[in-house]
Amino acid sequence: MTFEKVAKIIADFKEIDVSEITMQTTLNKDLGLDSLDTVELIMSFESEFGITLEPDASLQTIGDVVSMIDKETKK
Amino acid sequence: MIHSGICSLLGIRYPIFQGGMAWVSDASLAGAVSDAGGLGIISAMNANADYLRTEIRKLRQMTNMPFGVNIMLMSPFADEVAKVVAEERVPVVTTGAGLPSKYMKAWIECGIKVIPVVPSTGIAKMVERMGATAVIAEGGESGGHVGDLTTMTLVPQVCDAVRIPVLAAGGIADGRGIAAAFMLGASGVQCGTRFLVAKECTIHQNYKKRVLEAKDIDTMVTGKRLGHPVRALKNKFTKEFFNKEYDSSVSNEELEAFGVGALRRAAVEGDETTGSFLAGQAAAMVKKEQTAKEIIEEMFAEAEAVLNGARKWIK
Ligand SMILES: Cc1cc2nc3c(=O)[nH]c(=O)nc-3n(C[C@H](O)[C@H](O)[C@H](O)COP(=O)(O)O)c2cc1C
Repeated sequence: MTFEKVAKIIADFKEIDVSEITMQTTLNKDLGLDSLDTVELIMSFESEFGITLEPDASLQTIGDVVSMIDKETKK
Repeated sequence: MIHSGICSLLGIRYPIFQGGMAWVSDASLAGAVSDAGGLGIISAMNANADYLRTEIRKLRQMTNMPFGVNIMLMSPFADEVAKVVAEERVPVVTTGAGLPSKYMKAWIECGIKVIPVVPSTGIAKMVERMGATAVIAEGGESGGHVGDLTTMTLVPQVCDAVRIPVLAAGGIADGRGIAAAFMLGASGVQCGTRFLVAKECTIHQNYKKRVLEAKDIDTMVTGKRLGHPVRALKNKFTKEFFNKEYDSSVSNEELEAFGVGALRRAAVEGDETTGSFLAGQAAAMVKKEQTAKEIIEEMFAEAEAVLNGARKWIK
């Protein structure tokens, strides 16, 4: 469920099709997101899931984002 | 006298930072700026822990005043220099573009004031939440790595977005710029380009000459394709880089490789054809070599005059 929501937010942000996004998609190389874009997205995830996140350099793939969100929502 | 919250917060006399500049701001420049009442900032650049520790100790021999260290988060030595600033109890750490999340907690715990450079309101809000003491909103007029927004538009928006103090950077090289920054809501400024020609700045004389001779239209931005655009004075190197950037037969790896070492060639060797002379659009406003103390005192005397005169517009 987290993945679907995350993928939709990113697809809207990048104006691409949701089907292009998988758990292995990388933020930087595949999606071309820089640190500004990443922070904007993190803020969207925070309001979508009602959590606060602490993004860092270990966030590489959509899978990383999903597990970070899952960890926070379980708290 | 111009005094703002940032002065009391950091224990400095003038609300001005000399921005961290790779290959440029060593203990000599930073120590002179701190001693003159501003905040001098040593660049940790892509060097290792030993280099940084030596520079910090040199600066401490020169002055007892507060100073800062700039850490480039992409540096291969980021982890080790992050430890050095904590061990040495450096008063202030500034960070380049990107999120310093990985280190912030540890730095704040040992009493370091963390003041990241931010290119957007989103990043400003994020670092405020992580405990930043202030932020430096840097517009794309600046020398070095540049963001898209201009100082004129970024500073007021960041001031609205956060409650911590905001310093304005990018394009500020005289007292008018300082006055304008305060009008935009900033409580201090960070300058890079103007300090390139400080007497205590140890870069090659050719670099200083290029800055002093620069005209308004003499800088250009290259490197957009690689995701980290850089502003420098136009020369053979920047033009070649630009051509390669728009040549699709040149790979990103080749382009990166072409840029390696270019700032060092400018700053250390003064090589006018293969060096990258990073400088901001304000380079043309920089007219003479002066000591850091003269630069700071002149800028603030001008700013005071401009701010005092501003009432004339209100009828
Ligand atoms: C030669 C040069 C090197 C720089 N290197 C860095 C750096 O390593 N890290 C950083 O955060 N900013 C760096 N900057 C940006 C400055 O710290 C400062 O924010 C900027 O120069 C302000 O704009 P101005 O040049 O218009 O005064 C550099 C700027 C110059 C001119």
